[in-house]
Amino acid sequence: MAKRQTSGQRPRSSTTRHQHDHGKSRCLGILRQLSAYIDDELAGDICHEIRRHLGACPNCEVFVASLRQTVSLCRHSPAPGLSPIDRAVMRQNILKTARIR
Amino acid sequence: MKAFDKLYRDHVDLIYRFAHRLCGEPEAAKDLVQDTFLNAYRGFERFRGDAQVSTWLYTIASRACLRMRRRRKGAPDRELSLEEFIPTSDGEFRLQIPIDGLSPEEALQNKQLRHALDTAIDQLPKKYKMVLILRDMEDLSAKEVGTIMGLNERAVKSRLHRARLFVRRQLSAQGLGQAEPDHEHALLG
Repeated sequence: MAKRQTSGQRPRSSTTRHQHDHGKSRCLGILRQLSAYIDDELAGDICHEIRRHLGACPNCEVFVASLRQTVSLCRHSPAPGLSPIDRAVMRQNILKTARIR
Repeated sequence: MKAFDKLYRDHVDLIYRFAHRLCGEPEAAKDLVQDTFLNAYRGFERFRGDAQVSTWLYTIASRACLRMRRRRKGAPDRELSLEEFIPTSDGEFRLQIPIDGLSPEEALQNKQLRHALDTAIDQLPKKYKMVLILRDMEDLSAKEVGTIMGLNERAVKSRLHRARLFVRRQLSAQGLGQAEPDHEHALLG
């Protein structure tokens, strides 16, 4: 994946530049589709094309792995529960307010 | 009343979990839950069963959350563009957090990581945050999220993608140290 050029940053020479022969627009095209790719929502030929790109572009491959990890962390993120007292107090409050109004 | 009690008993934990993820703290989450079930109580007879009860409750909770936010008069949601998520340095391609070789459950025993993840999600503009929570945390389909938020599936997927990229970028910028499990977990181990 090509890096975004930041202000004040000198362009890299061709020898140190990330080894792409397909240009950064290809990486941007991949970036746009990554969620659909990891959610398995793309057609087979597009998936194949993306897999081929990832095989040739280490940065994109690392980026996809990091996006998968992010989604996986979100999916497993714990959420606190309610105590029986909280449930009972809230129920009381709801019914009390419903009767008042 | 019996029907409402069943509705409350069956769904209060689900809606509290959602509310806590949206609000980030228990008291605001409890307010949101009460607001949601109060509105459900009033609208119960009008509920025609076109959608699942849980989808109906998520919809009420989402609207109540937006109303609460409007009352606080915060800054309007900013738009996230894909351009801003293109890495600018080599370190930004991977997550700078110690999770290699760990399952997500094991990784999330690290308090710092949980805090970093919660903070990243909390920093999302509300309309992106809601999509991420409903889709990736509450595990609803894009279609269900669309029904709840009044969006088409394409818009849901677009917002979800930007939300994920935002959270990924925040985590890649964290640079957390080695995994440190919670104190109580360490004691158990």
